[in-house]
Amino acid sequence: MEHIFESLAQFWEYTGFANCTWQNLVMIAIGLVFITLAIVKEWEPMLLVPIGFGMIVGNIPMFPGLNIGVYEDGSVLNILYQGVKQGWYPPLIFLGIGAMTDFSALISQPRLILIGAAAQMGIFGAYLLALLFGFAPNEAGAIGIIGGADGPTAIFLSSKLAPDLMGAIAVSAYSYMALVPVIQKPIMLLLTTKKERLIHMPTPRVVSKKEKIVFPIVGFLITAFIVPSGLPLLGMLFFGNLLKESGVTKRLANTASGPLIDVVTTLIGLTVGASTQADKFISVKSVLIFGLGLLSFVIATTCGVLFVKLMNLFIANPAKKINPLIGNAGVSAVPDSARVSEVVGREIDPTNHLLMHAMGPNVAGVIGSAVAAGILLSFLG
Amino acid sequence: MRKFLTTVLVLAAAVSLSAQNVSDLIISEAVAQPDSTGLLDDYGRRSGWIELYNKSTGTVNFGGCYLTDDRSQLKKSLIPKSDLRTKLGPRQVVLIWCSGRGADGTFYADFTLAPGKTVYLVSNDGRTIIDSLAIPATLPYGMAAYKQAFDIRQQEFEFVDNPEIPTPRMLNGEHGSATKGELMKERDPHGWILTVVSVSVVFCALALLWFLFWVLFDRPAKKKDAPAARSMTKGKRPVIPSDSEESEVAAAIALALDMETGGDTYAAIATAVHLYLADTVHDIEPGIVTIRRSESAWNNKSLNFRKSPILVTK
Repeated sequence: MEHIFESLAQFWEYTGFANCTWQNLVMIAIGLVFITLAIVKEWEPMLLVPIGFGMIVGNIPMFPGLNIGVYEDGSVLNILYQGVKQGWYPPLIFLGIGAMTDFSALISQPRLILIGAAAQMGIFGAYLLALLFGFAPNEAGAIGIIGGADGPTAIFLSSKLAPDLMGAIAVSAYSYMALVPVIQKPIMLLLTTKKERLIHMPTPRVVSKKEKIVFPIVGFLITAFIVPSGLPLLGMLFFGNLLKESGVTKRLANTASGPLIDVVTTLIGLTVGASTQADKFISVKSVLIFGLGLLSFVIATTCGVLFVKLMNLFIANPAKKINPLIGNAGVSAVPDSARVSEVVGREIDPTNHLLMHAMGPNVAGVIGSAVAAGILLSFLG
Repeated sequence: MRKFLTTVLVLAAAVSLSAQNVSDLIISEAVAQPDSTGLLDDYGRRSGWIELYNKSTGTVNFGGCYLTDDRSQLKKSLIPKSDLRTKLGPRQVVLIWCSGRGADGTFYADFTLAPGKTVYLVSNDGRTIIDSLAIPATLPYGMAAYKQAFDIRQQEFEFVDNPEIPTPRMLNGEHGSATKGELMKERDPHGWILTVVSVSVVFCALALLWFLFWVLFDRPAKKKDAPAARSMTKGKRPVIPSDSEESEVAAAIALALDMETGGDTYAAIATAVHLYLADTVHDIEPGIVTIRRSESAWNNKSLNFRKSPILVTK
């Protein structure tokens, strides 16, 4: 009988109830909120469901040393987490993004590329603020990239510059990407007049197949020669796009933009979520990162919208003016921020479709954030 | 034949790469006569040692290479091939004890070191000298002869004349100095320099892209489309000069709708609309029933977009 009690007591020590801390419960609650938002509100379900469930997986209280935790060498979760830690997943996701992105909107109106550059100010604004809050330069660079509104880029850069902060940075980046409609809309309305919101932009011209094939090659050569440190992201992005546009590698493009990106997105979401183990995640730094992440989105949106207004000052022909509502799309949350432009534009004029125009700065933002990540890596890596 | 040639080329490339890997090793440091504070080997003895450094960014397997202190006998001490520990990671170092007893283990050489000798690292072909380090005849007891990186980016090393205190299993030169982040903190504590430079580079990269595509494609295309645009401004329908261009316009509308909604149905509708606008077909004809599009949950765009959260105030 005594042995039975001893065994039961020993078993109790291994259960989650015996090892539970309030921090674990907080993180599990956050995970549940993410899943609820994804299912009920349909906010970025592809990201928030895996991340939310990963948070629950990573915060199940357990007896240390069983070799099952995400931070325990050799465990299944740890092996899957290497894709995040070593930066393998982000370039693979970029391959898929490249294979599913149509750059026609950008090629037909090349001037919109500059909006994608302006919105990257969010990255550097957050970098300056993070330094002000006492973060080391490499940490500040990793936090700043949240402003690029690009989850894979944020994971890639933080894994190189500040691996300890990667969990908080990744969750922050993905959370704010899901909240793009909430964050961007009020800023857009605040910074634009009714007259500006009513601007109808000219219909984009037709883009030939030749242009579409040349774009990934020229785009890659220019950006990679200027910022070779962004090679893993830029190379995969443009390679994926070439697979799509060449027309002769449809099977490869379909795999990259379908099964491959689905598998990697599932793994990256789950493992990033699991990496938010309470003892590593709950800290003052994490709270600061979330605050700075939000500010970086605000700065990026503001700079994008204001830059369009600045561009309009130099455009004499009223028919060629740009609607400032597409300025927010310079952040690379594809295609969410472009959708916000469309929705806000149609609220004031239901006939004004801005989606196609907003896709230009949106895809330029993807390139811009990868270039910015490369620059930060070369300075701080 | 073509397959055979391809195989040969691939194999040749693989062999050359392998050789290139081994050639990335250097003898970075050597101690000929350790003093009483010197490092002990696995057997508790104090022997001379040499340090090998992999200056490449890939792992190098130095198993099968040779070490010697005699140029006329390049295969004097073989480093065993079968030991997995002979794989040296990028920018990593390994110590080889020159105890004169190679049988003691993988990391023991069959010769001893002395001032005035030169130690050679020989490739696994037994002929090619990969690197050498001449130990000065005047090297004092307990001091090390070493090479230091004078250009860390290019991984260029050179022999340093002044003997130094040994730094076994540590990287020589600038490797141990401050990280880039620490240097940046010193040079640019508030981050303004990095910000200005980075923003300029991002703008330059994307502006260059814009300029190239504007010059190469956008400008010529707009010049080509100019007559059609002029006719539109006069209130006329666009002049569509040929069948190929007409189909391109239809394709553009289809593409735009396809991107927006992702449906082939819309592409077909867009083509029909274009044909109607171009006066190719008539929408209203006697005896023909025209089915007009009605809004439903399947085709209403506003229902397909994700909804923005509504702020509820009490």
